[in-house]
Amino acid sequence: MITSLGAGGRVSGYLARRLQVLKACIILTGKLFFADPQWIIPSIIAPFVFTLVAFFLFNGQTSTSTFLLELVLGGGLMGMWGTTIYGSVNSIGFDRWNGTMESTLAAPIPLSWISMGRVLFNTFEGVINAFFILAIGFVWFQVGFSILNPLLFLMAALCTFLSLSAFGLMMSTVVVLTRKGGFITNSMEIPVYIATGTMVPVIVLPFAVLPFAYILGPTWGIEAIRNAAVSGYSGVGLGYWQDLSIMAVETIAYLALAFLLFRRVEAYAKRNGTIDEY
Amino acid sequence: MTSTDGPDGRLGASERFFLALRVFKGAFFFGRKGLIIWDSWDMWVMQILITPIAQMGFFAFLSIYWGYAPSFTQYIVVGNALQAMSFSAVFAVANITSQDKWQGTLPGTIVTPANRVALFVGRAMFQVLLSALISAAGLLYADVVFGVSFASANFLSVAVVVMLTSGAMISFGLLISAVGLYMRTAMIVANVFLFITLLLSGVNFPVSVLPAWLQPFSWTIPLTYGTEALRMAIGSQGVPGANLFQLSGLLGWEALDGLLVLIAGLALFTGFETLSRRTGRFEEY
Repeated sequence: MITSLGAGGRVSGYLARRLQVLKACIILTGKLFFADPQWIIPSIIAPFVFTLVAFFLFNGQTSTSTFLLELVLGGGLMGMWGTTIYGSVNSIGFDRWNGTMESTLAAPIPLSWISMGRVLFNTFEGVINAFFILAIGFVWFQVGFSILNPLLFLMAALCTFLSLSAFGLMMSTVVVLTRKGGFITNSMEIPVYIATGTMVPVIVLPFAVLPFAYILGPTWGIEAIRNAAVSGYSGVGLGYWQDLSIMAVETIAYLALAFLLFRRVEAYAKRNGTIDEY
Repeated sequence: MTSTDGPDGRLGASERFFLALRVFKGAFFFGRKGLIIWDSWDMWVMQILITPIAQMGFFAFLSIYWGYAPSFTQYIVVGNALQAMSFSAVFAVANITSQDKWQGTLPGTIVTPANRVALFVGRAMFQVLLSALISAAGLLYADVVFGVSFASANFLSVAVVVMLTSGAMISFGLLISAVGLYMRTAMIVANVFLFITLLLSGVNFPVSVLPAWLQPFSWTIPLTYGTEALRMAIGSQGVPGANLFQLSGLLGWEALDGLLVLIAGLALFTGFETLSRRTGRFEEY
């Protein structure tokens, strides 16, 4: 019984309950995905078509191995981004469509933990998506798998995965208050592709866009990935470890902001009775 | 029974026509209310302003990064200004039947004795205007942000190309919407089609760059004719923009293409409606 536990027991009980919810949400989101896996198609097709367009744009003119590697990497990163953003923002929106919003909010656990479980699975799905695109890209364009430093590449990819999850969690708070989640997602998709430098390094972007690019953690993750993968890549020019450090700081900030926002918007939605009648 | 009813109690052709016209008008205004009031106008303003600049910017930056001439970047920008309308013309229209399913209004819509063409085309018509506005915003960005010169442009031709392409692309939206009547959602097919047009419609590079076996598919999409016509209507330094007479061939093919796609969509819709009625699987898909 919780009341009979000491401070340590309460903390472990507190954490255990949340981790249990986290695990259940990851599993449930996974089951829902495998029950209707068609949703991965648009997430694969969009980045792949963008990659193909870029390939045809420059085919025969700049088809160096660096160009092709950057192209394929860019497609993979777009796939990861697209799935994460779409899945995360809509993780609450799907509750509205399915009529499960009230039950979800009535659960005796903060909404942030439920959402985090869903976002984690969505990001994982994004990673699978990215590997699909990379595999197709490497085969289709016959790019040799010449990653400069595979170990650093994998580490940067994993950190970017975590940063994307945190960003997705923060974004999903918006949808608690509005039915415009799908709209926001669709409008955000290409701007975030640009601002994070998926296909074109952020250094090429106009100066006015750079502040937006730099506050996005994945921008630094993508810089780190390129630094680890492409020989002679300069980009923003801070180097691999600095890129990862900035991303780590921004990811922690996203997480803190996400939990704070969740607490506020959940309380607001419950107080005003605007969960479904928004 | 009205005085103009036939001997078997069925309405005459003229009554059916005027009834369909009323349904079309009602569906058009219902579509407008659905979009602007329920979805709220700010979202649409956001879409009109953000969609074209984002898409044009993405491909323009790609071109700049790989060191291509400004004229080539401008070629890309014009194509994408027109293609950006697909988000509204194809995606939004394709989701009409899917949204009916989500909102539980599909059985109610289907059991009405209203003319199907008038009902669904009417609901889609407001998107023609929105699509044209998205492309107009795109062309404005092309001028202001990307330096495309409209000094030689034939503005009447530009306007006609944008409106005709918008109407013709709506046909594709309706075709996909018909698929959505049978499938769980049309969103997947709409997504695939939307992005395929970026590849096949001469938006970012001439159709001739594609492998030979892919090129015939390009010419089944109205946007391919529209993109070519738009570039001709804008003209370039020393080359005046084409007038409507000069564009008549391209525009004629585009209109015919749009009409054929619309007929195919209606045939598909009727087929799926019959199938769904027979199997009772409008929502139990």
